[in-house]
Amino acid sequence: MGEIVFRQALRDSVDEVLEKMFFAETLGELSGPDEAGEAITVELTFQGEPSGWMCLRLTADAAREIAVDFLGIEDGAEISNDRISEVVRELANMICGSVLSRVESAATFRLGVPRIVACCEQCTESPRNTCYRAQLSHGRLTVNIGAGTTKCPQPVQSAY
Amino acid sequence: MAYRVLIVDDSPAMRTFVRRVIDISGFEMSNCFEASNGGEALDLLRHEWVDAILTDINMPEMDGQEFLRRLSEDEVLRSIPAIVISTDATMHRIAVMTSLGARGYVTKPFLPETLRAELERTLGVPCG
Repeated sequence: MGEIVFRQALRDSVDEVLEKMFFAETLGELSGPDEAGEAITVELTFQGEPSGWMCLRLTADAAREIAVDFLGIEDGAEISNDRISEVVRELANMICGSVLSRVESAATFRLGVPRIVACCEQCTESPRNTCYRAQLSHGRLTVNIGAGTTKCPQPVQSAY
Repeated sequence: MAYRVLIVDDSPAMRTFVRRVIDISGFEMSNCFEASNGGEALDLLRHEWVDAILTDINMPEMDGQEFLRRLSEDEVLRSIPAIVISTDATMHRIAVMTSLGARGYVTKPFLPETLRAELERTLGVPCG
């Protein structure tokens, strides 16, 4: 599968999922490495042709906003980190499924269970990965997708 | 007429979202039941009648595929229309779920009006 096809599928999937399911939109593509700061990262693997992995990183403010919009929580109401991580896992699941449905519409695939990881070394540009970074109204989102076996760290205790 | 709907999904967030989207869409729902997998849904259906089932595919313990297979084998429950809600939009998966008795298929992401239209279509609700 060509990198250009994957990149377009990734961009379209992020935009469509955010618009339809989270009532949000991207405010433009970003370049350069992710800034340091509090964030939540979710990783999931997929089996199919090809098999691979996807990482989604959201800054803390963006993750909270996404969760509030998805669950319909009123402004100012409390939302736990558990609820936020649950929603971000669901977001990762939808983006990955949408990308794979676009590039493998005639084949079949199986998604793994999204898991919170402490950080993701693969969320950096690499010729083997396809990365999309976007500005959201309350932070930023980074999605990285690649073929092969994940090298993301094992789940660890985190704020989420 | 208001309908009784069962949402089957292992994600509490997704169940909350689907319930919310049904409300937003204007679909008339009198009762909304929830189950986190196919087994829980079958247990619930022994005690509660519903007009429609919305089910995910990938779930622990009993997934949506096995759930639909069990529904199709039950002489009473097979009459309840089941709609699959899934991220998997591949032709293969849609064909498999349809062959197991799914009356509708909604791929994530979806708009509220899409879910409403699929519910109304499978329930035979007149348009407008």
